[in-house]
Amino acid sequence: MATTQHVIIGNGIAGISAAEVLRAGDPDSAITIIGDESETPYCRPMISLVLEGALGPERLPIRGTDYYQQFGITPVLGRRVTAVDTSRREVHINGARPVIYDKLLIASGADPRPVKAEGRDLDNIFYLRHQAHVRGMLAVMPDARKALVLGGGLVGFKAAYGLLRRGIQVTMLIRSGYPLSMQADAEAGRMVLTELRAHGLEVRVGAEVTAFEGGPAVRAAVLSDGSRLACDLVVIGKGVLPSLAFVRRDQIAVDLGIVVDRHMRTTAPDVYAAGDVAEGMDLARGTRWVNAIWPEAVAQGRLAGTNMAGREVAGEGSLGRNVIRIFGLDIMTGGIVDPPADDDGFTVVSALDPRRRTYRKLVFQKNRLVGMVMVNAIEQGGVLLGLIQSRMPVRLPAETLLANGFNYKQLLME
Amino acid sequence: MKQVVVHPERCVGCLQCMLACATAHSRSRTLPEAVLESPRPRPRVHVGVGCFDEGFPNRCRHCDPAPCMLACLPGAIYRDAQTNTVLIDTDRCINCASCAMVCPFGVLRYHPDVLAPPDKTVAVKCDNCIARQQKGQIPACVEACRTGALTFEPLDGAMRRKTDAVSRTVSAGRREVPPPAGYALLTTIKHEQVRLRSH
Repeated sequence: MATTQHVIIGNGIAGISAAEVLRAGDPDSAITIIGDESETPYCRPMISLVLEGALGPERLPIRGTDYYQQFGITPVLGRRVTAVDTSRREVHINGARPVIYDKLLIASGADPRPVKAEGRDLDNIFYLRHQAHVRGMLAVMPDARKALVLGGGLVGFKAAYGLLRRGIQVTMLIRSGYPLSMQADAEAGRMVLTELRAHGLEVRVGAEVTAFEGGPAVRAAVLSDGSRLACDLVVIGKGVLPSLAFVRRDQIAVDLGIVVDRHMRTTAPDVYAAGDVAEGMDLARGTRWVNAIWPEAVAQGRLAGTNMAGREVAGEGSLGRNVIRIFGLDIMTGGIVDPPADDDGFTVVSALDPRRRTYRKLVFQKNRLVGMVMVNAIEQGGVLLGLIQSRMPVRLPAETLLANGFNYKQLLME
Repeated sequence: MKQVVVHPERCVGCLQCMLACATAHSRSRTLPEAVLESPRPRPRVHVGVGCFDEGFPNRCRHCDPAPCMLACLPGAIYRDAQTNTVLIDTDRCINCASCAMVCPFGVLRYHPDVLAPPDKTVAVKCDNCIARQQKGQIPACVEACRTGALTFEPLDGAMRRKTDAVSRTVSAGRREVPPPAGYALLTTIKHEQVRLRSH
């Protein structure tokens, strides 16, 4: 029998997690990984720590330089996939012969959401997604005085924090009323905003950039309210979108991400998807959702690899979660943090303790926990998130879960 | 392989395991000196208070696969195969709290530690007293436990004992398994106190 050809699009954590369980479960198969970045696997969420100066770039790699050899993987790096044809089982790569697959994993991740603004291609305007972006920023940082960060989501936020820590004056532009509006609720967002402002961050709410001016490097940004803002470094952190331009929608079902079932199978035969590009069941929402976070990419990659190796294992679904530390605040959130106010199917309880600087919020749907926000004292956050993931009915009073002394034992009622 | 087994029904909440754990992970490894050390030695086992004021020694289960190990961003969490212990490399740890986010038992803590690089806040959790085991000692929490809530033994033996105890309560001519002396009284008092408080 011919060797099974496994092809993985994506050299990120989902792709390599899949490759590793695939190698363990199917030792004789051939594995090819195609990635558009040319570095060996590294930890993407840590690049902001390099920007901040907390770590050197040498700390980013998460696998050794002999990684591909060790796992018997053929790496095709520095090239972007242009098309996948499932009818011919071909993966087309820029300027190379098509790669034929028996089983294909699409773990192509996500790309930064672009902004539409005049002068977008001026120098010193960056995304914060790849190691190379941070290298670019570090190169121009010695001359940077005034930075502008677009977007108050996780990426914009980490960029602003990193630049502030480097002693650069930062203005953050956010469209919604407070930062982290996708991850946190208004109360936690307000606490974050206060903390950042206390450390010198300028935040402009409700404004967007319409044009950049300068040449060759950016010198100013023109905002939607007509005002001009001088800046010599810009970071675009408006979130990410699944990277799936190469996917033919008549062959593979796509919503926001590539639609997957509980085995990480797409609608095309022998084609799987995992990580930031995949859209599977969300445990809190009970609908399909793209949860583009590191731990889910690991879990989904492993699940896809296990199934590709021939062992049919079903996953329960994914849960959006985040934890961030900024200056004196720790924020952990997960699931549905801001249920629609007009939906009475949700019960929300919260507790704010200004003296201890803690805030906790829990969102219930009937007797199931479906969302949580924690500011400071986050050690027991995993227990609450575990409750959301297990979808177990909660028999304890909500106040018990909110209390400072909440611990795992209280879930064992008897 | 021996491991620490928790028998929650026997815990009286005396907190001796926490004290012994902090001492075992101090510079001096003696209690009188440990309380004066900086950074202050802290326990890896945490006695939580249950709904009826009962104690529960909550410690790392060293899960396999371990969610913390899979979620760790810098790859600082690894498994020691010999003792089946999930360990944290404090030099690699970046204090990002991803491990706390995915630990369903809430056993992670973050603080400077005598075993970590100086002045660095790191993730800390149970290490099965690997250093003590290498010297032929048993984990400090087990050594300190006087009620048998913590034992150090092969898991299958502990499971068999528990299974036997349960089957005795359901078999014909069953007899109640007597709780440890004094424990029933303590439990009754605690339950009663909670009942009185709630009225």
